[in-house]
Amino acid sequence: MSGLPEVRLHVGDAVVARVAAHHARRVPGVVALRADLTQALLGLADSVLHPDRDRGALPADGVHAEVRGGSAEVTVTLVTRLGFTCRDVAQAVQREVAAEVGAYTGLDVLVRVVVAEVLLDR
Amino acid sequence: MALTPDPDGRLACGRDAAAVWDRAVAGEPADAHERGCPHCTAAAADARGLGALVQRLAQEDPEPPPSVLDRVMVAVRTELRPHDVLTLPSPHGPARLSRAAAAAVLRHTVDAMAGVRARSCRIEQADDTRSGDPGHAVDVRITVTARFGVDLASVTARVRQMVAAAGEQALGVPVRRVDIEVVDVFGDHW
Amino acid sequence: MARAVAVAASPSASGAEVGSGVSAVPDELDEQTLVVRAQEGDARAFEQLARRHQDALYRLAVRVMGDRAEAEDALQEALLDAWRRIGRFRGESAFSTWMYRIVTNRCLGMLRKRRPVPVEEVDAAPAPAQDSPERAAERDAGMAALHRALAALPDDLRVCWVLREVEGQGYAEIAQITGATEDAVRGRIHRARTRLAEAMRSWR
Repeated sequence: MSGLPEVRLHVGDAVVARVAAHHARRVPGVVALRADLTQALLGLADSVLHPDRDRGALPADGVHAEVRGGSAEVTVTLVTRLGFTCRDVAQAVQREVAAEVGAYTGLDVLVRVVVAEVLLDR
Repeated sequence: MALTPDPDGRLACGRDAAAVWDRAVAGEPADAHERGCPHCTAAAADARGLGALVQRLAQEDPEPPPSVLDRVMVAVRTELRPHDVLTLPSPHGPARLSRAAAAAVLRHTVDAMAGVRARSCRIEQADDTRSGDPGHAVDVRITVTARFGVDLASVTARVRQMVAAAGEQALGVPVRRVDIEVVDVFGDHW
Repeated sequence: MARAVAVAASPSASGAEVGSGVSAVPDELDEQTLVVRAQEGDARAFEQLARRHQDALYRLAVRVMGDRAEAEDALQEALLDAWRRIGRFRGESAFSTWMYRIVTNRCLGMLRKRRPVPVEEVDAAPAPAQDSPERAAERDAGMAALHRALAALPDDLRVCWVLREVEGQGYAEIAQITGATEDAVRGRIHRARTRLAEAMRSWR
């Protein structure tokens, strides 16, 4: 190892969020990821915006990620639909996203899932 | 004729100006006082003079472009209280379900049944009393309206069954208790 | 319970008994049910309420603001106000009255913030629409004069007048919507009518 420069890889929040979103969307029963408030409201009247909301890490497509040291916390907000069990969809997203993001980045990943809406139309 | 109504809307003769005006617009004949009263006559003449134009204005029917409600609904959906959630059982970390979304699923289940419609649907998730851990079982309080003539006892029994089943199957939370109240009846032939 | 689970073993099976193409909120739901659902956070129920009332609310806003773009803003903000406050609707008045009140307040708020414009410069007639009947009406000089006279009214008089003459609301409802006494409402409507009649007399 001597003689080689020390390489430290830092994976940013946006990278984690994007990878998480990519895998979350592929879980059966996930119809859509719910874009974070600030994102969804772009282009809407100012009065609609809530300036007090979290302005921390960049949200990507309904996924919010924060990397701290060797671990990451990911929050996935999703829409599912009738025909799937919310509990099972949530668990599958947690499993898939934690495994895939972990494998890709080497981080310890905790995945929070919020099922925001269940589509009822068939 | 200079009309100087007082703030209460009385004509100088003491008559209620709005009433005189409304009657003139409606084409009702003037009574004895109104025929002889210059204030009433002037008000009625103004009313009739303006009437046709006002009617045309009222008939113009500007409609809002669909984009207005679309924008509102985007904002409404993003504003949906994300903190108001139920906890889903999961060994993999925190999993939550919007309480409003869960209620919509249960109401939908009821709506799909013949002769009954869901109105209020409240879902409470009690902590496990023995362990103190957050439990997952829910208590559901639902109010329904029923079609006039349906057998209330059997329909509420079915509602209870279907709501419990939907809780387990669609939401994935055990349903501990379902309270049903029939709050109104509806029908096609009243 | 085992039997109950079997009944809806698949959620789509439970929906099958009403056939496909059924929307999540049946169209014919009564207003009280929609209001309760919206109060419990059901966005679809709120959307249906908004859809039922938006034409009337927009008409009011157009006539009060005298401008379609501003009326759209007022309607949008008012509908959001309604969503945020619907939990506080207690049913003391009709839901439509409550909605009119919210739109009225939005309009009055926007009018207060508007930079004062000399009456002569006010383009009182609403922007011409694409539909030809509207344009025909705009071309009509009498209507244009009425629009101008309406725009020249003090805001509180115009609000009461529009609620009465365009929306056909009763004096008691207008009092609830505007928060004024019924006598004050009668007075305002009469003053508005008198001023409009005078303006139109001089136009003729």
